[in-house]
Amino acid sequence: MTGDAIWYEAAQVVGITNALNVAADGLGALGPVDEATTPPEARALLAEIRAFYGGGVGPPGFRLIAHDPAYAAEVWAAARHAYGDNGLARRFKEALAFAVSVTTRSASGASFHLSEMRRLGVGERGVMEIVGVTQMFSSYTKIADMLQLEPDMGGIAPVDPTPAPGGPAA
Amino acid sequence: MPTVRLRTAAEYPAAAQKLFALSRAWFNHDFAEPPAMSRVMAWDPGFGGPHGRAMKRAMGPGEFTRGEKEMVAAVVSGVNACEY
Repeated sequence: MTGDAIWYEAAQVVGITNALNVAADGLGALGPVDEATTPPEARALLAEIRAFYGGGVGPPGFRLIAHDPAYAAEVWAAARHAYGDNGLARRFKEALAFAVSVTTRSASGASFHLSEMRRLGVGERGVMEIVGVTQMFSSYTKIADMLQLEPDMGGIAPVDPTPAPGGPAA
Repeated sequence: MPTVRLRTAAEYPAAAQKLFALSRAWFNHDFAEPPAMSRVMAWDPGFGGPHGRAMKRAMGPGEFTRGEKEMVAAVVSGVNACEY
């Protein structure tokens, strides 16, 4: 897991997962769009999301933010980019999204990303591995915070000297 | 500044020295002093022992690699806004 690129990818997954969970868990009062009456661009967007998720409805937040199809389309473009196979595999990114959802107590996010992990081939052992890591580091972090421990392990990770994508070498 | 005075490795009993050696092996890094969390966990083996074994079981080889699990751990720490 060396090189900064995959850590940028992981950060994108963390950010967009939280954004979608915030919508799914906090915007229920808006109600999901009604595909029978919603504009064609919203229907096309939801169809694209279903295709990405193998026929499933996708992250529940999209049906809430699709009341503004142009906005939802941009969020989807970012999400599709973040969750797609790249330096990190999509299967693993769903595990990261599951860990984020569990940690932030998003029941809808945890349920959705658990189902995606399973759909993409993660078995019960793999699920419990992610549960275990999430739970144990939820413990370590609070112990560290309680005792106000100062970071002392940053030096064990190598520094990536490569430039930003497309940028000149330093 | 930590809430407690973190003891140096030399202030711990012999049993804890074995835990510190395991910590060096786990991180594959020769620390001048064991990481603060290792020293915190070595304070009370009745808690640190099973907590550490649960962590090792979760982080061990399986469907996901150790590296992938370290990234999950980093994500959980980040989401919890834990500076350590």
